[in-house]
Amino acid sequence: MSDNGNKITLTIDGRQVTVDRGTTVLEAARSIGIDIPTFCWHPKLKSVGACRMCYVEIEKFRTLAVSCATECLPDMVVHTRSEKVLQGRKAVLEFILLNHPLDCPTCDKGGECDLQDHTFAHGIDDSRFDFPKYRFKRDPKSTFDDYRIGPEIIRNQNRCILCYKCVRANKEIFGEHDLGVFQRGNLAEIDAAPGEKVDSLYSGNLVEICPVGALTNTDFRYKVRVWKTKQVKSICQYCADGCNLTLWARRNRIFRATSRRNDDIDEGWICDRGRYGYQVANAEDRLTTPLVKKGEHHVEVTWDEAIKTIAARFREIKDKKGGVCIGGLAYPGLDSASLYTVSKFFRTILNTNSIDFRYDYKMLPEKAGDVYSEMTAQPFSITGIEKSDLILVLASHLINEHPITHLRVRKAVTKLGSKLYTVNPFATKSGDISTDEIIYRLGTLEALINGVCMALTEQSNEIKTKYADKLKSLIAPSSVEAASKISGVEKERIHNLARAILDAKNVTVIVGEILTGSATRENMASAISNMLLISGIPAKGQVGFLSKYANSMGAQRLGVMPHLPDATVERLKELWDNYPEQPGLAADRILLAGRKEEIDSIFVMGCDPLLLYPDGEFVRESLETLDFLVVADMFESKTTAMADVVLPLAGPAEMSGSFVNIEGRIQTFDKAINPPGQALPGYEIMNRLAAEMKNPLYESDRQLHDEITMLLDMNHKAPAIMDVQEAKYIAEEPGDEYNIALVVTDELHHFGHLTEKTKSLSAFCAESFLEISPALAEKYHAQNGTLLRVESEVGKVILPVRISEHIDNNVAMIYKNFAATPVNVLQMRKRRVDYVRLSRVEEK
Amino acid sequence: MILSDKSIAEIREKMVRYPRRKSAILPALTVAYNQLGHLDEEIYKEISQVIDVPTGEIAEAATFYTMFPKAPTGRYLIQVCHNISCALLGADGLVEYLESKLGIKKGETTPDKIFTLITVECLGSCASAPMMQIGDRYYEFLTKEKVDAILDDLRKKAEDGKADSV
Repeated sequence: MSDNGNKITLTIDGRQVTVDRGTTVLEAARSIGIDIPTFCWHPKLKSVGACRMCYVEIEKFRTLAVSCATECLPDMVVHTRSEKVLQGRKAVLEFILLNHPLDCPTCDKGGECDLQDHTFAHGIDDSRFDFPKYRFKRDPKSTFDDYRIGPEIIRNQNRCILCYKCVRANKEIFGEHDLGVFQRGNLAEIDAAPGEKVDSLYSGNLVEICPVGALTNTDFRYKVRVWKTKQVKSICQYCADGCNLTLWARRNRIFRATSRRNDDIDEGWICDRGRYGYQVANAEDRLTTPLVKKGEHHVEVTWDEAIKTIAARFREIKDKKGGVCIGGLAYPGLDSASLYTVSKFFRTILNTNSIDFRYDYKMLPEKAGDVYSEMTAQPFSITGIEKSDLILVLASHLINEHPITHLRVRKAVTKLGSKLYTVNPFATKSGDISTDEIIYRLGTLEALINGVCMALTEQSNEIKTKYADKLKSLIAPSSVEAASKISGVEKERIHNLARAILDAKNVTVIVGEILTGSATRENMASAISNMLLISGIPAKGQVGFLSKYANSMGAQRLGVMPHLPDATVERLKELWDNYPEQPGLAADRILLAGRKEEIDSIFVMGCDPLLLYPDGEFVRESLETLDFLVVADMFESKTTAMADVVLPLAGPAEMSGSFVNIEGRIQTFDKAINPPGQALPGYEIMNRLAAEMKNPLYESDRQLHDEITMLLDMNHKAPAIMDVQEAKYIAEEPGDEYNIALVVTDELHHFGHLTEKTKSLSAFCAESFLEISPALAEKYHAQNGTLLRVESEVGKVILPVRISEHIDNNVAMIYKNFAATPVNVLQMRKRRVDYVRLSRVEEK
Repeated sequence: MILSDKSIAEIREKMVRYPRRKSAILPALTVAYNQLGHLDEEIYKEISQVIDVPTGEIAEAATFYTMFPKAPTGRYLIQVCHNISCALLGADGLVEYLESKLGIKKGETTPDKIFTLITVECLGSCASAPMMQIGDRYYEFLTKEKVDAILDDLRKKAEDGKADSV
C-alpha cells in the first residue's frame, strides 16, 4: 500500500521514500539526502515557487514541476537529475543571469553565494542574451547600485534575483512591513516601504537569508573574504534566550556573527543585538591593562602588582573585621566558570555569602525557598510554547526582553492558531497579534491577577468549592469588581481571560522583567502562583519566569546569590573545604551596608551598577563610602572610574565556556580570538587572586569543568506549588506633583551596559530618549526631538522626546543603556513604581 | 487629507465586501485614482489609515499596476500597447507618429497639459491591433488618419471645457 492514511510512498531517483501527507517533493528528496538546488525556498517559510530553480521531472506530469510547491502524491515517480531537468534549470539560470552583473570579484557574497554555486554546478558558460543588461542606478555616479535601506542594510538591486525571501520572512516571521517589492517585471525592486527604514530588531536576518549579494550589511561589507575566515561555535552573550551563533574570525578579529540554527531555540533567526553585539570584542576602547589608583589617578600596573594589591587589602579587611565586610556583585552575562569562581572565591577564601548577580533589580528577596524562587525554577521550554493553545504573556515587554521567544509566540499564534493574551502596563508588539491586549495601571498586577483568580472561582464550581474561602482570606482585593477598579481593566475582560484559561487544553504562561525586576515581585509571584494552582496549569502547561541575562540561570544555579537552596548548600559543603555559616547579603543590602560602613570593600565583576542599579545616587554614595573598590570589566565606566583597582576582563568571544538559557539548557561556546592586551577571563582573575591569598580555586581546567558540570547538572526544577499563597495588593498612589509612572528599560537595539560600544547597534540608536504617548506629548507641546526635563523626587535628566502610539497616557518610558545619560538617578530603590514629572527645558 | 470625504466613504463602503482588509487595496486605489488622476506615497499613507493595511503593502500593489499613473498626467492619458501583436502591426511607428504630432517624447505631457503619452503592456485587445487606450475607452485598428481624428476631437473637447472625466 503506497497510500496508507497519512503516509505517502513515492519514488525519487529510483529510491522509495515514505513521507507524511502534505510533504513537498523537495522536502521528501531532502529527507533522503537528495539535494535539489533552490533560491526562494526556505525551510521556515511558506513555499511560493518564485525562482523555478527546483524543477524536477515527475512521470505523467505534462511539464517540469517546481518541487518546493508540489505535494507528494502516492506512487509518484520523480527524477531530480534527468537531462530534461538539468536543461530546465539551466534555462532558469540563464534567465536569472539575464540582468545579473556577475560582479563576483567585488561582491561580499562571493564564496557563499547560491547563484555562484548553482551556476558553477550547472556549467553555464555563455548567455544567448547579447543586449546590454538593465541597470538600476540610484546614484548615476556609482557603478554599483548600493543604496541604504536601513541603518545596517545596503541593497544592490542589480544583484537581486527576486526570490522574495527577505520580504516574505519580514512579513511572515517577524510581522514587519517595512520592506516590500515594488514595480514589476525587470523594474521590480526590493525597497523600504514609503517613508520607512528597515530597522526592526530582526533586520539582520534579511541579509543572512539573501541567496545572493543583493542585501549586505555595513558590518561585514568589503572587510574580508568569507573563505579566509574560521567559523567558531558561539552562543549569544546578551539575553537569556540562548540563540546559537557562528562567529567568523580571522587574524584575531571577529568579522561577523550569523545564526547557527537550533530548532529547539531560535529556528535560525537571531536578533540584531546578537548579530552585531559581537562588536564589543573588537571595540577600540577596551580595557587592556590592570590599573591601580595612585593618588587621584589610575596608573597602569602588572597583573602581579594588581593581584597583590587586592590580596593585601582583602587580607587586611578579613583579618581585622572578617570576610563578611567584603561584598561581591557579578554580571550574569559572564560565562559559568567566571560566575562559579566568584562564588567559590567569596565562600572559601573570604568566608562570606555576600555575593549577588542581581545587580540591576530592585529590592531582592533574601531567603531561599520563597515563592518567587520556586516559580523561577519551574520547568519551561521554548518549543513547549507551540504545544499551548493559550499563551499568556504577563508583565513582559517580550520582544524587548526575549526577542526570539517572542518569535516563537508569534509562530504559535500566526501559524499554529494558539490564542494569546498579553497583560502589560503598556501596549507591546505582542499585543498586535493577541486576542486581547490587557493594559493595567503600572504597579497593580497582583490586584489584577487576584481578580482573575476570583473570576475563576465564579466561573467554575469546582474551583469555587475547593479554593474560594481560602482565597478570600489570603488575597486582596478578593473580588473581580475591586480588582477591576484598582487595575483599570474592565470586569468583562478579566472574566474573559478567566474563561480562556478554563477552556484551554494547554497553557504557557510567560512572565517578564516588569515583574522580575520589581520590588514587589514576591507578592506578584504569589498571585500568579495562585492563578496557576486553582486553574490547574501545572498539570496542563508550563510557566516561565524568564531570566534576563545570557547566564542569569547559570548564576542562580552556580550559587552567585547569598541564599542558596539546601540541596546546593549540601553539595557545596561536600565539594569545598569551607562554607560560610553566616547568612550573606543580597545586592541591595551589600550596597546599603557599604553606605553604612558595615562593608568596607566591594568586588564588581563585569557589571556597571552605577549605570544600571535602580537608584543611581544610592549606588554612588555607597561606592564612595567604601575603603576599597575593585572592578573588573571590558570597558571603562563610571563604576571603574571610582575603583581603586581596575582589571581588564575578557569577553565571551575570547574564551570557551558555557551559558545556561531561560530553559535551563547548558550550552557551550568556543574561543574565537585572544583577549586584547592583558585582559583575562573572570575565572582566571579569581583563581590568581585566590592563589595569592590562600590557595588556587582549581588545579586544572578539568577540575573546574567537573565542579561546574556537577552543580549545573543537579536537579534544579522545583515542584509546582500546591498551596494558596498570601497575595495582598498594597496601594502606592502617585503624589500630586510626581504623577507619571516611569518605566526604565532596555532600548530595543541595546542590552545592558555593553552594546552601546558597538558601531552597528549605535547606528540604530545612540542615545537615551523619553517615549511618551501622543496625548502626553501634546500636553507639553512636545514633538519628536523636543527636550523635556524628567524629574523624580531624587533626580533629574533631560531627554529628547519620542512619541509612541504604544505608550499609555500616564507612562513615561526611558532607556537605560547609555552611559552619557544615567537614568537610574530617577529611580528609588524602595519604590515599587517610580513617578516623575515632566517640564519643558526652556520654561525654567 | 488629500482623499475627499466622498472617496473615503466609498472606500469604506467597498471594504465591507471583502473578508480580508488586504483585498480592499485595489478597490481603494481605484477610488483614489478616480478622484485624483494619479497616485503617490502620500495617498498610499492615507489609504493605509483608512483600510488599516501597512503602507508598504499598498505601495507594492500600486506600483505593480502600471495602469495607475504615479505622477499627475495631462487631461488625457494615451496608453499605447507595445506588446507583440500591436508591435507586429506597427505600434512602434504609431508611437513615433504620436510623439511628433504631440511634440513630446514617450512619458511626457504636452505643455498645455492636455495629453500624456505612455506605452503599456498588453491590454487584451490583440485581435484589434494596433490599439491604444485613452480614459476608459479602447481605440482599435489604429492608423495615422484615425489618430489624427481622435486627437483633434479630444483637443477640441478639452478646449471647449467638455472633457470627459479620465
